[in-house]
Amino acid sequence: MALLDVQNLVKAFGGLKANDDVSFSLQKGELLGLIGPNGAGKTTLFNCIAGMFPPSSGRIVFNGEDVTALGAHAMARRGLARTFQVYVAAGDLNVLENVMVGCFLRTRSPARARARAEGILENLRLRELRHSLVSELPVAAQKRVTMATALSTEPILLLLDEVAAGLNSSEIEDIMANIRRIHRDLGVTVMLIEHVMELVMNISDRLIVLDYGKKIAEGDPKQVAKDPQVIKAYLGERYVRERTTL
Amino acid sequence: MEAIRNAVDFSDFPWSDRMLALAVFCLLLIFPLFPYSAFAMATMIQFFIFSLYGMGWNTIGGYGGQVDLGKAQYVGIGAYTTMVCLLRWDIPFWVSMPIGACLAMAWSFIIGYPLFKLKGHYFAIATIATSLVLKDIFEVWKFVGAARGLGILPYKYQSPDFLRLIFKEDLYYYYVIFAFFVIGLLYMNWFRKSRLGYQLRSIKDNEDMARSLGINVHWAKIKTYAIATAFVSVVGSFHAVYIKNIEPEDTMSLDISILIALMAMLGGAGSLWGPIIGAGILIPLKNYLKEWLGAAAGLLGIDLVIYGVIIMLISAFEPRGIWGIVEKVRRRKRI
Repeated sequence: MALLDVQNLVKAFGGLKANDDVSFSLQKGELLGLIGPNGAGKTTLFNCIAGMFPPSSGRIVFNGEDVTALGAHAMARRGLARTFQVYVAAGDLNVLENVMVGCFLRTRSPARARARAEGILENLRLRELRHSLVSELPVAAQKRVTMATALSTEPILLLLDEVAAGLNSSEIEDIMANIRRIHRDLGVTVMLIEHVMELVMNISDRLIVLDYGKKIAEGDPKQVAKDPQVIKAYLGERYVRERTTL
Repeated sequence: MEAIRNAVDFSDFPWSDRMLALAVFCLLLIFPLFPYSAFAMATMIQFFIFSLYGMGWNTIGGYGGQVDLGKAQYVGIGAYTTMVCLLRWDIPFWVSMPIGACLAMAWSFIIGYPLFKLKGHYFAIATIATSLVLKDIFEVWKFVGAARGLGILPYKYQSPDFLRLIFKEDLYYYYVIFAFFVIGLLYMNWFRKSRLGYQLRSIKDNEDMARSLGINVHWAKIKTYAIATAFVSVVGSFHAVYIKNIEPEDTMSLDISILIALMAMLGGAGSLWGPIIGAGILIPLKNYLKEWLGAAAGLLGIDLVIYGVIIMLISAFEPRGIWGIVEKVRRRKRI
């Protein structure tokens, strides 16, 4: 049985269909990449799955249960976690406290939440930063903090939204190692949106490509990269035509 | 057990803070030994009352970031419950106080559910509106004395009456409210480290993030609003037996709501000491201004002018109030 099963999902904002009849399923233990040009509806798809807003139509089945239009907090309780592309922190929570908030989902005791949060920070090599404010950290560290925060709810499925955007290549290496560790050592199923091809091609078991809200390709990363539809979506019609006439 | 340990554990504050707090505590404990002045005594009792209001406000307004300008309605519910219970059925304070708190919390759930569908300024305005509506109802409600209000005739009771909390001397009131103050402070010290405390700070930080971490944002706000309400209602009950004469115009007026929020914001919203610092500055200032500048020099309304200036200064320079400035300076020193 698939861990996550998305069936004919449509999300419309007024006349714009951000997701148009998207279907796919995700097996337990898989590492699935989601790519597509800007505005293809990747983050909208994440938001629908994570319960941030209900889809216009379609069904989402998570862990054998129909969770369509269940709220975000209910999804977190059922074992789904996600990171945010842009992390806006207005308040005064430091890194440790941020992670503690998530740990409180599974315990009432502040001492236990603190201990667990310390453990997660240790795991992602963030221990030295635990007393800094998130807004004061460099981008790379912020991305790692959002991953730590997402892990704090003890998820079985983790949705990562562009965790490598804006990082340099050594930082990408680092993030990649972290994702692998979460996937392999903690046994968390991972689905990631990524623009950094070097990362997503390397790490994913399978790829899904969205364009204008529609799923245009799915399969092995190497094959997907050669798919003319995908190349067209990324590089434009003319590029493909010129290449074929050459 | 862990809860009690957390309530009395102040160890995350620097040594100097704890010493200062201890010194102030001792001073407050022996305050009645100083030469008696009715003005100073009344000011001190008011300081405690407003510190407690501020602590209650601070849960939802400070930690939760939901600016609530309708706390006066709960002062009214607490005060009127105690007053009506005492005058009509001779129910003692210690029974009517929890009844009042329950009624206030029930009311807070009823209006909290729709109120928290609103955000930001809309929420603040809606809280003002609900408070004013309740005040208007009390003004025409014969059962609670309508606009004239209700009053205790103190000579009917033997002072000191610890059951009904009716005393001739302010000294008793001082120690009763001081005890409330200490309990309130310990509760807040537990609260800020509790699960709900952290969840609220996360909600204030970023609501979408909070939701994705499994927090039921709407429910967490309603719960906290009820806690804030209980604080305010309990102190409202005390206010009734202390003042002995309540009417909608002064127990439930918008001034009270604004003063409560203002005090907590001046001291530092979302910090343990904020409301206490705020009340410690504003209450003496308010009473002084009323007594000397207002009554003696004929500058009526000068206190309102000062509040206006304070609101402007806070919002322009440091939204996190005096405690925010202290923390900023400390942070800079560490770096």
